Amino acid sequence: MFAYTVRRLLQMIPLLLAASVVIYALLALQPGDPLEELKRQNPRMTAEQFEALKRAYGLDQPLHIRYFKWLSRAVRGDLGYSRTYGIPAAEYIFVQRLPKTLILSGLALTLALVVAIPVGVFSAVRQYSLADYVITFLSFVGFSMPVFFLGILLLYLFAIWLPDHIPGFPRFPTGGVPGVLWEDVRSGAISFWYFLGQWAWHLILPVIALSSLQMAEWTRFMRASLLEVLSQDYIRTARAKGLAERVVLYKHALRNALIPIVTLVGLAIPGVLGGATITETIFSYPGMGRAIFDALVEKDYNVAMAALAFLALMTALFNLLADLAYAVVDPRIRYS
Amino acid sequence: MATQALKAKPRTFFGLFWRRLRRHKMAMAGLVVIVLLILMAIFAPWIAPYDPTAQPTGEDVGQYYFNPPSREHLLGTDDLGRDVLSRIIYGSRISLLVGFAVAFSSVILGTIMGTLAGYFSGRPLRFYLGPLRREREGFYPWSFALWRVFSWFLYYGALYMALSIAWALAKDGLQAGSLVSYLGFGLTLALVLWAAWYGLKGEIRLDLDVAISRLIDFMLTIPTLPLLLVLSALLRDPGVKVGQWAQGVFGDAASVFIIIAILVLFGWLGTARLVRGNILSLREQDYATAAQALGASDARIMFRHLVPNTLAPLIVQATLQIGGAILTEAALSFLGFGIQPPVATWGNMLTNAQEYIFTAPWLALPPGFMIFITVLAFNYLGDGLRDALDPRSRL
Repeated sequence: MFAYTVRRLLQMIPLLLAASVVIYALLALQPGDPLEELKRQNPRMTAEQFEALKRAYGLDQPLHIRYFKWLSRAVRGDLGYSRTYGIPAAEYIFVQRLPKTLILSGLALTLALVVAIPVGVFSAVRQYSLADYVITFLSFVGFSMPVFFLGILLLYLFAIWLPDHIPGFPRFPTGGVPGVLWEDVRSGAISFWYFLGQWAWHLILPVIALSSLQMAEWTRFMRASLLEVLSQDYIRTARAKGLAERVVLYKHALRNALIPIVTLVGLAIPGVLGGATITETIFSYPGMGRAIFDALVEKDYNVAMAALAFLALMTALFNLLADLAYAVVDPRIRYS
Repeated sequence: MATQALKAKPRTFFGLFWRRLRRHKMAMAGLVVIVLLILMAIFAPWIAPYDPTAQPTGEDVGQYYFNPPSREHLLGTDDLGRDVLSRIIYGSRISLLVGFAVAFSSVILGTIMGTLAGYFSGRPLRFYLGPLRREREGFYPWSFALWRVFSWFLYYGALYMALSIAWALAKDGLQAGSLVSYLGFGLTLALVLWAAWYGLKGEIRLDLDVAISRLIDFMLTIPTLPLLLVLSALLRDPGVKVGQWAQGVFGDAASVFIIIAILVLFGWLGTARLVRGNILSLREQDYATAAQALGASDARIMFRHLVPNTLAPLIVQATLQIGGAILTEAALSFLGFGIQPPVATWGNMLTNAQEYIFTAPWLALPPGFMIFITVLAFNYLGDGLRDALDPRSRL
């Protein structure tokens, strides 16, 4: 197991290098470079000033040189400055954006998991009952629903239609983050519960919109997985030897049915870190997805490169972790 | 009489399959919806009450903008006074075209890659033979002889590129003149010389399975949505050769072609994995060995004997992928990186929807609803096909 882990970690190095080359090349090949935008903003710029700026940005050098310079700085932890915000790209990505994304997407992932497992189990145990049909239908709806449509629908219902038509119905916020600061809580200006309430109030709709797809997929998966286990011989044996149905279900069946879920959750975590571009766009939430999108549009390459390279690293890491976790929960799996 | 009773009506594969599929009510409902959508797409010019791109002209055009649903415009008009219902009807053409084209192409590409990876797993192909290497087996076909010469160019071309990069990087260090940089330069030079020598005498074998599987792993490592955004921005740029070519060939519909190409680029990965796994077990079957013993070529065994046996999961995969492709296209168009106006698609009709819901909700809801219904229909059909084609499921 240890040797396997080390080998996989070593295999990750060329994979990540290749991924960073591709991402860097694609960003550099983007139509228009940052300088053209500067020139448009300031048409009186002379040719010398333009050349000086080009040198300052390092854009006078060929692509591969720029890549290796970026790489040699990046491995030492220097990811450069954000052109748009004038702060280090690492600070912008990891301090300003990542925590917000972790809150939103993390909550959505947790909600999906907390709902999907019990509902999936219930649906499998009562196979072909009315409740099972309803749950199956809802999960099909869940993963056929485009997230941007669901988000717009939720906004329309809870921020506009229901408050307009039902007197006294609370009007949900249309997006953004609450204007309460953690510093105010520490200085005692507002109570902690008010702070928490404000955040919860703003996060309800985006979390629901973001979690629905995963919730539907995992419910379906949990149901199929448990049904598969319940048809195994050892379940019949457990029933035949007179164990209570509870014990059969929770001790013999569920624990085995949960094994594939571990992999699924492991593979979903990089998606959490990457944020949700579409949900964040609809609810104007300043997270990672939106940061990457804006960086691409505004050609803020240091930011885009930092975020995308980080995501590639996390995807590779969690792929490995999912494989290892699989071996931990399922003793039949041995890596050599 | 007795023999009469035993004689069962012969059933074709398709007949059996259709009988099983018909019992899945939601799948049949999905099929009906899909057929209706296809009819709507084909007969769009006759159904749509207005031209989807026609904007009102003349004086005081402002009165035609943002009209709520009325008798003349059943679903209202949009920010440029275009009829929303007509745009929805024409939008079905794009969505279905993208869905079917992406699913079809990625299933074909995925099947080829997956079959190659699975069939040649553990049987590395001779990929490169150095010019000075002595042959152990004397004869090889012309195609390989040609490839052999071509691969020298590939190998030494790559080597030349590596050398030029190393040289350009080293120059910076050499100007600084530290001992370490001289050492590093010497080491790099030695490495390149060794590689050049190895290229003359050496032989490289390529395990197609390893190469393709690693490629898939690698493409799954790259964050998908940002890459899609970058690619579509790149290809839409008229300054880029591909963009020019697409504009020239497809005109206004160039962005449709580009979206299809991008979605296929990422769409074949799942199919390839599925097919590879199936082929790995199928090639050990007796009939594959029998075909080999009868002298069938690799290509014949792969595509006449093995691939037809993976058809069932492939059909299911393709159906589900149509829905997936429609969703992804809509998401990209929603973000403004997909199919460009004036071509109407359900995705780009929603682009500014979250602002319009306050003033003109009729613009936001119908396109989203159409995407939802279409994807739901394909998902249910895929589910029904899976049940109908799976011999283990009893219906």
